Parts: sequence; structure tokens; C-alpha cells
Amino acid sequence: MPLLDIRNLTIELDTPHGRVKALERVSLTINPGELHGLVGESGSGRSLLAKAILGVPGHNWTITADRMMWDGQNLMEMSSKQRRNLMGSEIAMIFQDPTSSLDPAISVGSQIIEAMPTNKSLPFWKRGKFKRKTAKKWLHKVGIKNTEKVMDSYAWELSEGECQKVMIAMAVANQPRLLIADEPTDAMELSTQAQIFRLLSKLNQLQNVSILLISHELETLAGWCDQLTVLYCGQVMESGPTAELLKQPFHPYTKALVDNAPDYSGALAHKSMLQTLPGSAPALQHLPIGCRLGPRCPQAQKRCVSQPSLCHKKDRYFACHFPYHIESCNDDTST
Amino acid sequence: MARYLLRRLNLFLATSLVLIGVLFIATSHFPVEQQYALTGIESPTTDQLALSRSEYRLDSNQFRQFIAYTKQRVSGNLGVSITSQKPVIDELSQVLPASFELAIVAGILAMSLGVPLGILASLSNNKITQHSIMAITLTGYSIPVFWLGLSLSLWFGVELGWLPISGRINLLYEIEPTTGFMLIDTLLSQSIYRSSAFLDAVQHIVLPAITLAVLPFTVVVRITRAAMLHIMNEPYIRAAEARGLHTGTIVLRHALPNALIPVLKNMGLMLGTFASYAMIVEVIFSWPGVGSWLVSGIYQRDYTVIQGGVLAVALIIIFFSIFIDVLHNAFNPITRKEIYAAN
Amino acid sequence: MPRISIYQEDDIPSPMRKLWQAFADNPFALMGLWAVTCLLFLAIFGPWIAPFSPEQQDPLALLLPPSWDASGTVEHFLGTDDLGRDIFSRLLHGAHLTFGIALAIVIASLSVGFVIGSISGMMKGLKSSILSHLLDALLSIPSLLMAILVVAVTGPGLGNVFWAVGIALTPQFVRAIHQAVHEELQKDYVTAAKLDGANSIQIFWYVIMPNVWETVIIQITLAISAAILDIAALGFLNLGAQAPSPEWGAMVSQGLDNILTAPWTVTIPGVAILCSVLAINLVGDGLRSALSPLRN
Repeated sequence: MPLLDIRNLTIELDTPHGRVKALERVSLTINPGELHGLVGESGSGRSLLAKAILGVPGHNWTITADRMMWDGQNLMEMSSKQRRNLMGSEIAMIFQDPTSSLDPAISVGSQIIEAMPTNKSLPFWKRGKFKRKTAKKWLHKVGIKNTEKVMDSYAWELSEGECQKVMIAMAVANQPRLLIADEPTDAMELSTQAQIFRLLSKLNQLQNVSILLISHELETLAGWCDQLTVLYCGQVMESGPTAELLKQPFHPYTKALVDNAPDYSGALAHKSMLQTLPGSAPALQHLPIGCRLGPRCPQAQKRCVSQPSLCHKKDRYFACHFPYHIESCNDDTST
Repeated sequence: MARYLLRRLNLFLATSLVLIGVLFIATSHFPVEQQYALTGIESPTTDQLALSRSEYRLDSNQFRQFIAYTKQRVSGNLGVSITSQKPVIDELSQVLPASFELAIVAGILAMSLGVPLGILASLSNNKITQHSIMAITLTGYSIPVFWLGLSLSLWFGVELGWLPISGRINLLYEIEPTTGFMLIDTLLSQSIYRSSAFLDAVQHIVLPAITLAVLPFTVVVRITRAAMLHIMNEPYIRAAEARGLHTGTIVLRHALPNALIPVLKNMGLMLGTFASYAMIVEVIFSWPGVGSWLVSGIYQRDYTVIQGGVLAVALIIIFFSIFIDVLHNAFNPITRKEIYAAN
Repeated sequence: MPRISIYQEDDIPSPMRKLWQAFADNPFALMGLWAVTCLLFLAIFGPWIAPFSPEQQDPLALLLPPSWDASGTVEHFLGTDDLGRDIFSRLLHGAHLTFGIALAIVIASLSVGFVIGSISGMMKGLKSSILSHLLDALLSIPSLLMAILVVAVTGPGLGNVFWAVGIALTPQFVRAIHQAVHEELQKDYVTAAKLDGANSIQIFWYVIMPNVWETVIIQITLAISAAILDIAALGFLNLGAQAPSPEWGAMVSQGLDNILTAPWTVTIPGVAILCSVLAINLVGDGLRSALSPLRN
């Protein structure tokens, strides 16, 4: 049974331009112990999806979904209090800007301790000391060496990488089953990025935490994830095992992404154009109807004005009327 | 940190020196003889005249006069009051505690009501609640304090007769001044009417304290609300939410400490206005503090009292604004970052 | 034929229009703006509208209650005081004094504060710090104390109020403008302009000024309301406008003798002060909340 199973999740935002479907019929399945990558351009609704899974919606959101199952329980039917409890213990999240995600007025250590679960078996006077010890243990596990010093520092005294490690330590201290990492390495140096990713993948292997890794870089995700989901403008384009997806993309958008990846082999002719899709991603208030890639898609035809449903072929999913290498499941008669 | 404290001390001394300079210039422009304005002695003997000439170096140039003036004032010689012919410093030590008592009670009232109301206003999603709180605070901010004091004393003092409208305590009670704070003195006194005297003192302070508290209260509510609204959108609050903390914990442990920092800062900026208001309130409610003492000093052209009072009040304000600045830095780790970065 | 818009085009309004839209969306702020406009009108034309002269005494109508009271008359719309002077006329003449002088003080201290503040803001190091500390000393003297000092030197009178409140307000302008200029000076676009070869006058006028005027406007509204309250308070304490003057604060203090028998002589000028300060604060508040999204 999948850990998280989302079918046709739609998020509508109330903006000054009227109600906008920021996410339209998004489906996502995460199995236990899986490192799942979610790739999409900025503005494609990755963070919205993450927040909707976690259960911290904004005030102007309307969320509808056919089903949103967490380990057999329906998240849509839970009260906000139950969601809160789930958030602390089973689903954790780390954010893109780790320094500002830590309270600047409180030392890092007390924030970690605050996030720790209370060990009820100990008498209350020993709990504080135990928590401090566990906090140090976790900090050590995420690769921070002088734990004592870091515990007493404030967020702005640490480097970005250290802050993100602290955030990860805080997130995994409750031993969650799903960790959502929303661009955890945004604006970090490459070596720090690699450290963080290695840490995440180690956690995934050793602690058996499922991880939903969100990024805009296909190359980095490709290196670390088992499964990939490609998001464009709030719609799922394609989803499947990373290796297969990269080797033989069905969807034009995935193909464009793969082709866009810089090629360092030197095969590219001098001053030749780099491959990109024409145009740019539409703004939220000007979304095209049907398949939102339509106006930029090299394969687009008349039928693309109706949104294709998600086709299922073995363990691959794709939403396209005219996929490469394969037949679409979308019937012509339905339009 | 030591360097920072030293710089603040330096600032205090420099500002005080400028202030004394302003007073010195003002004193030489008072429309009376300079010696009279400096000492306040009504009909001085020749000895006294000679003494004051040498004390204030009136025969030397302006700069030496200023140094001598500073020396006298700093050593506590503020001259004698022209009307009562008593040393100004003694009168000052009698009226200062009364003003402090009023200011402290009003300040506590404003803070203890203002901060919770500000938080409530920021957390409520109800438009009507928000608008009514903003309307009340804006009105409180715009109300002329003398008119508010008069109206309150007219309603509660005269029409309803609930509360006394002048003085600190009923003259029938004889209270030994030990600390100068009437609320403490009544409790410390050995009299058998101790508790009723205390109650009387409390009743006397209610109206002036409420009148004085209106302005800081409204300011505190507005700033707390604005700061809370700003901070509740910060990423670390979102992160705390995502960690599954309860809303109460988030507000009290993460949002409030960060929100109180701007409140503290604005309190320092508000001190001057607060002092002006306190003086007016003292005049309206005949509260025997620095304000009413100073205002009666100006009515009677008591130049030594004016100098002493202005010097004392301004020094206190300078001291407290620097003190609040230091406090602000001590409690706020973020400004420490700025200090380190600046050095 | 009306143009048909096929494409949903985004009309991006200019900052001024955006400001006005945000301001006009707030009904309270708009109300305040109307009230301030009326007040400005009264401050200029009040003496011509007033039915009586402010000092004209009517011995037949002493302490007449306002017209809505049973014993009041419409002739003396807001009643009369103990000398039989028409309160409505006195209020109109007083608007000229209270509001007009407040405006004059603010304009004067703004121009002085603007010059000093921008010079000290553009300067660096010791000079700037000496200037700002000197002003900190002045800022720490409350306006009332400053007034007491001025009155002690020159004696009471409306002219001295001008100096007292002006000296108390100037440091606030200097400080606000100093800080705003100083903050803008640290930003990268100023460095970019410097690299383009702009001299400091050009940087000040073309680069920094457009980003500082918002602070100035907000400070002006704060200063006007503070000035009105200070002028009225000084009038009330008999340190400013003297007895027969229809200045609003002085009117309150003149009504004090009859507060028990004729409370309206105190209430009406007080309400007038409250309303005008409230109107200005509403405008200031509306401006501040309209500007805050633009600034971020």
C-alpha cells in the first residue's frame, strides 16, 4: 500500500484577478521508503503541493481532491488538530531558506529541543537533560561536529549549510515517515548542496524515511531520486521511475527538460542555440485552457484544448494526447 | 559588548553636556539679572553675592562661566527656589517620586492591557473586531489629554462621585514619607488606618493613571498588532507550524518575543511625548509631581525651578531612552549581530 | 465604437495611482481626507463665514446652551460662553489659529529639518554623528519643557508657541529624514549610480530623494497632529495663546470656570480638537497602510 496517495488534487487561489486553479488535478503516489523527486519551474505549484500535503494551507486556498490517503487514512476528512499531530510526528518538512526558517531570537538548541518528542517514561526532571542529549545525538547524525557550540548559537551565526542541517535534524528528530524537502539547497554552494543531498539519501536508506524532494533542477534530482514527477503550471505532465523517464520520455515537456540539460561533453557546436521550448511559462491569471503546455508544445494539435487524463502504462504515468514512443490512452471520441 | 556600553555612556554624557549648554544659554537670556536667575536668592547679602560671583565665575569669559555652571549643576547645586527660598534640589526630591509613581502605574496599565489586546487584534480574522480596535486606538491617539482628563474628572469625580479628582491622598491621613511612593508608604506606615489610607491612595491614582495611560496604551496596541501581523508571516513561524507546534506555543514562544522588540524600541521614542502628557495630567489632577511644580514655577517666574526642573526631566528622559536602547540590544540577539557587523 | 479587448491585458498602474487606489479603498482614510479638506477650508475662510466676531459679547445671552438644548437658540448655534461670546464663531476663528499655526510650524520645521537631515544623512563619520547626537539631545527635551523654556525667556504668547513647538518638532524631521537618507545610501542601486559617475548632489536629488518622500509625507501627518495637540495643550496651560484668544486649547481653559454649570464651553472646543486630530491621523494611517505594500 502506498504511503501517500493523492488523486486529482485541485487547489484554487482567490486572487484579485478572480479564482485561479493553481494546481489542477494533480496525482501523486509515494511508496514507503521511496525517494521521490518533484521537478517543475518556479511558479508551477510545487510549494503549494507540499503545503497541501503537510496541511498548512494559506488563507485564500480552496482544496478539493478525489482522495488524499495517508497510510490508509483520508487526510481530507481529518480535523485540523489531527493534521497538526500528524505534522509533528509523521510528516516533516524542510524549507528553502533555512536561515530565516529558524527563529532569530531563540538559540538553535532550544528550538531543536522544542521540536523533540517528550519521553514519557522518564521522570520529568530528567526529561530536559535527556532531550538535550538526544538533540546532540541527532545533530551529530546530520553531520555537525561541534554540537555543543551549534546548540548555543543563533541562526544568523551559522552558515546556510549548517542551518539546513539543523532543520533536517529537527525534522527527523521525531522520526517521521515522510520528509518533504522544498528546495532544500536553494542558493547554496555546490559542495554544500552535495552534502545535503547525500545526507537526505542516507537518511532515506538508513532510517527508511520516504522523502519528497522538490527542485527545479532535473539533473540534481536525477542523481538522487528513485521516482520522478514532472509538474508544469500546476499540472502533472509525467511520472515514473527516474531511469526510464530520462531514457525514454513520453511527454514533450519531459523531453524538452531532458534536452535542455546542459551537455558538457563538448559536442555542441560553437555559438549554436541551446535547446529550449519557445515562449515562457504563463502567469497565473493567463492560464491556457486544456493542457497548459499547449501553446508551447511542439506536438500540440487541436485536441490539446481539452485536458488529457493521466494514462497509466506499467509503472509510468503521463498526461498527453500525443506522447512520444507510445499510444495515448485518451480517446478521440471524448472530445 | 563592553565597547558598546562605553559608547552608550559616552552618548549619555555628550547629550547631557549639550543639554546643559542649552540651559546655560537660556539662563543668560532670562529677562532678569543673571546672578538672580542662577542662584534664585531674593535679597542676597554682599557675602552671598561675592560667593555666587566666584562660584559661577561671572567675571571670566563665557566659556569659563559655562564650565563653572556645569560644575555647580552637576554637583547638585541648583540654587534656591525664588518663591519658597528653599533649595531646588530638596523640592525636586520631593516631587520626583510622585511623578515616577504616576508614570510607573500608567506604564504598567498600558503595557499589561495593550500587549494582549494588540495580540488579539492581530490574531482575529473578524473584520468588525479589527476595525473597532483600530478605531478605538486611533481615537485614543488623537484625544487631547487635558480634555480627556477634564471629562473623566467631570464624569467620575463630580457627576458620579466615585473617585477623588485631585491630590495623591486625602489630607486627613498623615503618612511618613519613606520611599516617596505613596502606594508603598501607606503600606509601610505604622498607622492603624494603614489599609484605608492605602485604599484612598489607590483611589486617588486611578483617574490620573488612566488618563495618562491612554496614549501609551494605544501606541502599544498598534505597534504590537503591526509587529505580530508582520511576524506571523515570517518563514520561521511557518516552519514552526510545519513542525506541528500548537498555535499557542508558536504565538507565545516565537512570535511574541520577536514582536516585543519593536514595542520596546518605540517606547524609547515615545518618552518625550509621554513626559509632556504626564505634566499636563499632573496639572489637571493637582498631582504634586514635577509637572505641576514646573508649571507653577513658570506662572511665578521662578527661574531656578524652571532650570532645575527642565534639567532633571530632560536628564531622566535621556537616561531612560539610552537605557531602553541598551535593554533592546541585550534582549534582542539580532541587533547584536548588527553591532558585531559594524565593528 | 468601443474598443474590444480580446486579450486580457494587464494594466499596470503607476505608483501614484496605485497609492491613490489603495488609499481610496479605505473608507475611513477617505473620510479623514474630506474632513481635512473641510478643515483647511475653514482655516482659510473661517473668519468670513463666522456669524459674529470672536470678541463680540452679547450681555443678553450669557452661557446659552447649544441649539439642540431646549433653552438654546439657533442664532448661537453652539451656545455662548460666560461673556456671551458665540462659541461657533470663536471655533471658526480658532481653526484659523490652531490649524493654521500648526501648518505653518510644520512647514517651517520641515524645511529646516529637511535641509539639516539630508545634509547629515549624506555625510559620513564623525560630522554626521555629532550632528545627530546634538539633535538627540534636543529630541529628548519634550515639547512642553521646550515651551516652558521659551516662555521663561520671552514670556507667554502665541508667537512663542511657534518657536517652542517648532524647535520641538524640527529634530523629529531631522531624525526621520537622516535615517531614511542614510538607509537608502546603503543600498545597491546607489552604488550603481555612483559607479555611473554621479556626484553626490545628483545622487541625492535623482536617486535618493524619490525614495525618501514617502517617509517625509508620513512624518508630516504625524507632525501636524502633534503640533495641533501641543498648541492646544500650551493654550490650555496659559503658556501659549492668552485669554481672549479663540485658540481651541485656550477656549477649553477659559471654559474651566464654568465647567459645572456650562460643560459645553469645555466640551465643544475639546471635540473640535479631537475631530481635527482624528481626521489627520486617519489620513496619515491610510497613507501609511497604502504605502506599506508599495515599499516592500
